[in-house]
Amino acid sequence: MTRVGPAHGTTTTLALRSASRVDPVALEVQWQRLVTIVDEMDTATIRTSFSSIVGESHDFGCVIMDEDGAGLAQAQWSPPQFCTMMPITTRHMLRKFPKKMLRPGDVLITNDPWIGSTHLPDYNVVSPVFHRGRLVAFLGTVAHVSDVGGHRGDLEAVDVFQEGTRVLPTFFYREGRPVELIHEFIAANCRVPDLVLGDLNAIVGTHRIAGRRVQEFLGDYALADLRALAREIMTRSEQALRQAIAALPDGVSTCEMSADGYLEPFTLRVRVEVRGSDMYFDFAGSSPQVSHAAINAAFNMTYATTVYPIKCMLAPRIPNNDGLVRPLHVTAPEGSIVNCTFPAPVKARAKVMKHIPPLIFGALAPLLPDEVIAAAGGIFPFHLSGDDPRYGTFSVHVLPHGGTGAMRDADGWLPVAYPHNSTITPVEVVELQCPVLVLRKALIPDTGGPGRRRGGPGQEFVLKSFASRPITLTIRPDLMRYPAPGLFGGMPGAPGEVWLNGARVERFPPIEFRPGDVCVLRVPGGGGVGVPREREPERVRRDVEMGLVTPRAARDIYGVEVHEQ
Amino acid sequence: MKKRSAPAARTIGRRREQERRGARYRFGFDIGGTFTDFVLIDTTSGRVETYKTLTTPVEPSRAVREGWRTLLERVGVSGEQVDSAIHATTLITNALIERKGAKAALITTEGFSDVLDTQREMRYDIYDLHSPPVEPLIPRTLRWEVKERLNNFGEVVEPLDETTIERAIEGLRHAGVEAVAICFLHSYKNPMHEQRVGARLAEALPELAVSLSHEVAPEVREYERMSTTVANAYVQPLAQRYVQRLERDLREGGFQRRMYLMLSSGGITVGETATKLPIRMVESGPAAGVLAAIFYGEQLKVRDLVAFDMGGTTAKMCLVKGGQPARAHAFEIARVHRFKRGSGLPVRVPAIELIEIGAGGGSIAWVDEMGLLKVGPQSSGADPGPACYGLGGTEPTVTDADLLLGYLNPDYFLGGRMRLDIAGAERAMNSLADRLGLTRTEAAKGVYQIVNENMISATRVHVAERGEDPRRLMLLAFGGAGPVHAYAIARALKMRGYICPAGAGVTSALGLLTAPAAFDFAQTHVTPLRQHTLADLDAVFAKLETQGRERLTEAGVAATEMRFERSVDIRHRGQGHEIVLELPWPILAKVDLDKDLRPHFYKRYEALYGHAHRHLELEVMTCRLRATGPRPVVVLPRAERGAHGAAIVVKGRRRAYLSDNGGFTDVPVYDRVALPSGARIVGPAIVEEKDSTAVIGPDAVARVDAYRNLVVTFADG
Repeated sequence: MTRVGPAHGTTTTLALRSASRVDPVALEVQWQRLVTIVDEMDTATIRTSFSSIVGESHDFGCVIMDEDGAGLAQAQWSPPQFCTMMPITTRHMLRKFPKKMLRPGDVLITNDPWIGSTHLPDYNVVSPVFHRGRLVAFLGTVAHVSDVGGHRGDLEAVDVFQEGTRVLPTFFYREGRPVELIHEFIAANCRVPDLVLGDLNAIVGTHRIAGRRVQEFLGDYALADLRALAREIMTRSEQALRQAIAALPDGVSTCEMSADGYLEPFTLRVRVEVRGSDMYFDFAGSSPQVSHAAINAAFNMTYATTVYPIKCMLAPRIPNNDGLVRPLHVTAPEGSIVNCTFPAPVKARAKVMKHIPPLIFGALAPLLPDEVIAAAGGIFPFHLSGDDPRYGTFSVHVLPHGGTGAMRDADGWLPVAYPHNSTITPVEVVELQCPVLVLRKALIPDTGGPGRRRGGPGQEFVLKSFASRPITLTIRPDLMRYPAPGLFGGMPGAPGEVWLNGARVERFPPIEFRPGDVCVLRVPGGGGVGVPREREPERVRRDVEMGLVTPRAARDIYGVEVHEQ
Repeated sequence: MKKRSAPAARTIGRRREQERRGARYRFGFDIGGTFTDFVLIDTTSGRVETYKTLTTPVEPSRAVREGWRTLLERVGVSGEQVDSAIHATTLITNALIERKGAKAALITTEGFSDVLDTQREMRYDIYDLHSPPVEPLIPRTLRWEVKERLNNFGEVVEPLDETTIERAIEGLRHAGVEAVAICFLHSYKNPMHEQRVGARLAEALPELAVSLSHEVAPEVREYERMSTTVANAYVQPLAQRYVQRLERDLREGGFQRRMYLMLSSGGITVGETATKLPIRMVESGPAAGVLAAIFYGEQLKVRDLVAFDMGGTTAKMCLVKGGQPARAHAFEIARVHRFKRGSGLPVRVPAIELIEIGAGGGSIAWVDEMGLLKVGPQSSGADPGPACYGLGGTEPTVTDADLLLGYLNPDYFLGGRMRLDIAGAERAMNSLADRLGLTRTEAAKGVYQIVNENMISATRVHVAERGEDPRRLMLLAFGGAGPVHAYAIARALKMRGYICPAGAGVTSALGLLTAPAAFDFAQTHVTPLRQHTLADLDAVFAKLETQGRERLTEAGVAATEMRFERSVDIRHRGQGHEIVLELPWPILAKVDLDKDLRPHFYKRYEALYGHAHRHLELEVMTCRLRATGPRPVVVLPRAERGAHGAAIVVKGRRRAYLSDNGGFTDVPVYDRVALPSGARIVGPAIVEEKDSTAVIGPDAVARVDAYRNLVVTFADG
């Protein structure tokens, strides 16, 4: 069993009380300043990044950590999981390179799935910040780079070695100078070295800016370090979350769900226990890791994705920091699909990860009925690569999303990133970069899970190649067999589909996308909440008018007759 | 960078011409959310008359007629003697925020009408699952798809299908829409299909207001272009009626010249252009405010500053370098979730780049779930307003804190027009203090400190992201609450000092009178930057320049007085985002790419982001051209300098909380109007005037300049 406990030993209730005397004004002012610094890192990353996956898709996260690697603040837009994993990764790095070894201008790096954010394309970049000769903080960015070598596929792999190059924690810069060996190594082992090193170096630049900001901040308040502030931030946050947990009745709740997996389904099981002001999550009973497909989640991802729904439900407005994970205890059996062991293939671990929030929400639905959200349609990432006389060598990532699940008080959103956060690459930008036309990007009626509150509908993406020779299309679909479930009697969203030249696609090795080929991606809808027949007829009529529900579904599922105009 | 040529001689020539004709007055009016402000200036003497009245939201022109009549009568001139009238308004913004625009429709490429719903597919709040989605301005029922398709080279992949156009026209007719936005994929590259559909609509439905995306925002990225075009269509009928009404009213008031409208970019243009592209007026009031700040700065030869406008609900900051405001080419309007980035509608239009945060006099203080003090962005607004207004407000606000800390005079708020209720403010602050476990004074001080810190943080990032250092800058504070908070902000950012201009109450309206006729153009043109592609860029710029000449000619600018500034959105090839690079060269084909252009890019990029990637090729995405006419010269009359050592009369004394002295101290209070030019006041002190109050901290010294501006510097600065 892997256990992740608090980063700073145990905190007693006594300590919590004694800490609450700190000036609520100064704390607010200084805390917000840290958030501003990471937000500035985030903005600078977008503006200086190279790959579309960072610059257009926003697939990266920025965190500021204290001198021991505990998370203090994250950028407001960063994907939540990244920001929970980053401190864990940093502390791992510190075990190999203790603080006393680190000097100003050093930058550490790793993409190891078991140390970092659980698949090779995510590079973790960590820089110590020094103030008056003392190490006072760490800045961390995790970013999905365009390529890490390995096979071009996504889902079909038997081990991590096929998936690309693995860089264990090492110096990327030493005292401000690039470590040539590692730069050369990364460049030599990927297909688009300019994009990858461009992104990584851009991140180092943002750390330099943010490092200066931290120093200015400490100077402005005449602080020697961040210790007192860090302690206060984490203690207050922990206290607030503990209060929210303590308000729940003690007890045990479980949830189980099955998902597509790849070629064969898997099952996730969780047991959630509320005990006093702590919560315990155990994934015992979940499927074992698989060796035929890259869908295994290493523990960091399981942990980060488990704590995310809790923050949403119990502490949505507290800026994220490690104090918010102290009351949460996550365990998963080693060798399971949610705690896979080296060298399992992991690239498409999102296939497992995305099912964890609905599992947790499902378990807590009876306790927090107004705060839970039904499962979402998720994401069908696709990637186009190759070369063409008119477009040169290209590598384009697109992350089209499905609809989100409904809540008791609201219909699901139209396609939007969830549970992670990212943006869609504009169709015009896709077409500027590669010889593919997007023929259609449209919502699909009747795909949002029916319910008193309806799930968000999915969307259809139609791609056509007009390249002069075959190019490579990699797609990672999901929810094709097991659609997004609803809650409280709500129905599931429509399942996803992929079609190539009119034939349904079931296996997803890289597709040879030939000139004239047409590929249709139908990204699924989110689950509904509540019984569909209880939906107010005026809402059903409005859905029909808006084209989100067909008259037939209105009649058959909602029991509302609507005549098409 | 190209120096601005002094237009003084030409302007004098023009002024003489005006005098000969007798039209020597210029009239500026700014319709804000609460007040409508007017300025009338005599261009010969520089004499300025101002007037302020409540905005009449239902029929805005009513307040305008009143202001026009009042000022003209006061000065004793007739409408014919006014050479120009220049206008800024919040009407467009409000229509977008309140969703009170026209019934508008969208026509787009087949397969893409849902882009308006799916947007960028990003959540603006990752933890608050209850946050509402951003509703588009045009519902799905009012969108039509047309069969047509271009690729990124602008080549026709699918010819325009006339039957789908006719079907759309039938639908539009049936739905009874007033306006339509047309946005086809890659139209920035080839506008042919949009033009064809536009022409067909003009034939079939001549009453319809039509916005074509390649005219509104000819830039790559379909959602942003579509969103801009839709917003334009949404406000177009309204803008048209509104501008026509104003022009008619002014004509009836005897005005015989042209009315100009202020754009978000800080330029002015004629009514016809503004009503074609009303989305460009969205930030016209704030832009005028920044121009006023620039004007005041120039009076004092201060060209590097931060314009800081703090009103009732928001604070706005804008960096000005070398007399030029920061500029943006994209921003968000009508955010649904307070001030949260990503929760609004993106528009791609040129604008003076302002940051706006929910920090104003009416911002409400509250305590979060961790027992921390927060201020804003919720505001008590004008009604009920802060607790001290005595209009039923019970929540503690920034104004309440300012009053309890002794900065405001309860008997001289708005020049005595409103008496502030101290007991009400105390009650509200007590309840906050109880929740925080602080004393009332500590709570009030906390509110003051936190609202300041919110503004300080925002300013720090705004300034830093533009590669500037606050220590070089002055803060130019206006708006009712600006001068109250300027000391704390300038001090914390270690700025050189701050300036509180005289008559800060009608600042934006004065800014209108300093605006040149100007218009910005953009054209996406994706090309690697190579020596042989430079001539292509010249061709794009030449086309934009032709458009610029047309627009300026319409606005009455002589060909010899036109100026053109070129810039490009440029990046390392492969990057996802661009920087705006100003090009000092009129003809690029003659520029040496490696010796001049590339180093010019690296210098800018490195100033912004630390290091550039010199081995990579550069790529241009969009060409931008700003066409400007001469800037009117406004010279205010200088005040008589007070006799040396003239007695500076202390109006009174009161206890105010100035933290550097560790608590409440007895400070002298001065009447702004009574201060002679040349007066020097050593802090701590408070200077009161009708619309605002300036706080001068213990380590600051204020000087009254020849124009009665208050210029404050720090003892150690």
